[in-house]
Amino acid sequence: MNVFRPFLRLAALMAFGAALVFGPAAVAADHAEPAAAAAPAAPADAHAAPAAAAHGHEAAATAEPTILQRFAYSYLTAFMFCLSIAMAGLIFVILHHLFDAGWSVSVLRIAEHLACLTRPLFLALIPLLLLQGEIWRWLHVNPATDHALDVKKVLFNRITFNVVLAFVFGLWAWMATTFRKYSLAQDKDGSAIWTRKSRVLAAWGIYAFAFSLTLAVIMLMMSLQWQFFSTIYGVYYFAGSFWVTLATIYGLIRWLSTREMKPVIFPRQIHDIGVLFFAFTVFYAYIGFSQYFLIWNAAIPEETFWYVDRERGSWWAVGLTLLFGHFFLPFLVLLRIDTKMSLAVMAPMILWAWVMHYLDMTFNIMPVLYPKGLTITFFDPLCWFGLVALLASFFWRDYLKFPKWPQKHPRLKEAVTHHEVTGAGYAVEDT
Amino acid sequence: MSAPVPQPIGLLAQYETAADILHAAVAVRDAGYKKWDVFTPFPIHGMDDAMGLKKSKVGYFTFCGGLTGFSFGMWMIWFMNKADYPLVVGGKPLFTPLFAFPVSYELTILLSAFGTIGGMFLLNGLPRLYNPLFNVKRFKKASDDKFFVFIEMADPKFSTEKTRELLQHAGASSVEVVED
Repeated sequence: MNVFRPFLRLAALMAFGAALVFGPAAVAADHAEPAAAAAPAAPADAHAAPAAAAHGHEAAATAEPTILQRFAYSYLTAFMFCLSIAMAGLIFVILHHLFDAGWSVSVLRIAEHLACLTRPLFLALIPLLLLQGEIWRWLHVNPATDHALDVKKVLFNRITFNVVLAFVFGLWAWMATTFRKYSLAQDKDGSAIWTRKSRVLAAWGIYAFAFSLTLAVIMLMMSLQWQFFSTIYGVYYFAGSFWVTLATIYGLIRWLSTREMKPVIFPRQIHDIGVLFFAFTVFYAYIGFSQYFLIWNAAIPEETFWYVDRERGSWWAVGLTLLFGHFFLPFLVLLRIDTKMSLAVMAPMILWAWVMHYLDMTFNIMPVLYPKGLTITFFDPLCWFGLVALLASFFWRDYLKFPKWPQKHPRLKEAVTHHEVTGAGYAVEDT
Repeated sequence: MSAPVPQPIGLLAQYETAADILHAAVAVRDAGYKKWDVFTPFPIHGMDDAMGLKKSKVGYFTFCGGLTGFSFGMWMIWFMNKADYPLVVGGKPLFTPLFAFPVSYELTILLSAFGTIGGMFLLNGLPRLYNPLFNVKRFKKASDDKFFVFIEMADPKFSTEKTRELLQHAGASSVEVVED
């Protein structure tokens, strides 16, 4: 099925090309008001304007965004969406090794490939770093005039920002590559040493993962409004990421089990991924609610402004859509054990999860650029399709290139034999 | 008062291995029996499907318990803080689902658990102090190393000869009539 690859690459190129060509025109058409015409030149100064008070964000937010900023923010949103999938793939691999799991051996190679998407994402980070001046406004603020920035300048300064991002992406790419390298080496000789090595890497890797992901999310997303702080923010991003990735893995194994992966995917794997997907629906809501509730209860202006910004205009409706669409709907749909096995229920659910996670990223990122309400430009779908097509082409290349599951994993037999799930209403194969 | 005359109530078949009982269960299920049960010393993987058991209905009790807990938590805090004795705390509204949520959430879990346990006892008919099967001496082995199938006479498909034949054909080491 190599036919897919050039096609996806082409789609990625076309999306980016189209974004550059059509994006500005579409945006100009969207904002044909006379006032907007003069705006593009202004904002660069607008965020440089001294923000004497700690809450200078209100001054900066009123300027009309430039074309480049619109593109940059859409790109960041798509980037964070894609990063979710790669990072959750990585944590799936780490957890598999830490728990010495049996059932997930069948799915392990898929997760390894997803984790290795951190490598193309490292490349995709470059445009973000080139556009950093358009996205992170604190880069133009003098810490001497802004108390909130002054106390965080150890972390929020141009050098640390770039070094940290380059370092964490390098670390993730290295970890993902190493896990897959061990796994592929085991395919050849079947030696348990690779399992042992993976476990050692996973043992310290889970700490590295937690700290580096939190750091990256603080840098990439939370610092968009640098006055804001939430200690749970990294976990919030992780919870949503793992959720959407479980949906993705579910879709992938349902599809691939009709093809090459048929010998290793059983109802048990499908059921367990479905159960994890359900669990993370709740976990995401738990974390999201905790963040909101603590900020609401404490009512400290340094924190509440973040949510106040997200209650303006149509952002209020977006927030409620997330509450009901990201939590209540999937929660009620996935509550029954049999819906997790039904493709008729799960296929729309996967698409829905993608839309909801993208909306979640939009809700976190875009109010900074569009304080009046949800604004969708041409750049959004184009950046999204561009990046997703790029990652899909890498995934597909890896999928075709390597064995479809860990061939000689010590627990492979366990994964493919103990696969009955009782009471779920489907037939059990004899063991 | 004269002692009640023992009446036959069904057939009890003994099997020696877990594989035997699994196949016997499939045979009984395929023969179309409804009022029967399997007794084993330990849980056997795949038995639910072998017996043709449907999804347990305990989940509905759990759901109703959870829903009750959640609604009760919300109502309780609304009633106490807003309706019965309005009290401003920290400048917050008298009632909002926000601060009522943690308590309602805990009550959801608590009453879900109650619903699950209550529903389980309701559906499985426990605790039950007497069962005619206790009269059968060999049945004690059900908690040791033997496996049993019991088919009730009340089953519409029951016939002493044909049912016995079915059980023996499925590999029973002994079949006997249970009286009550």
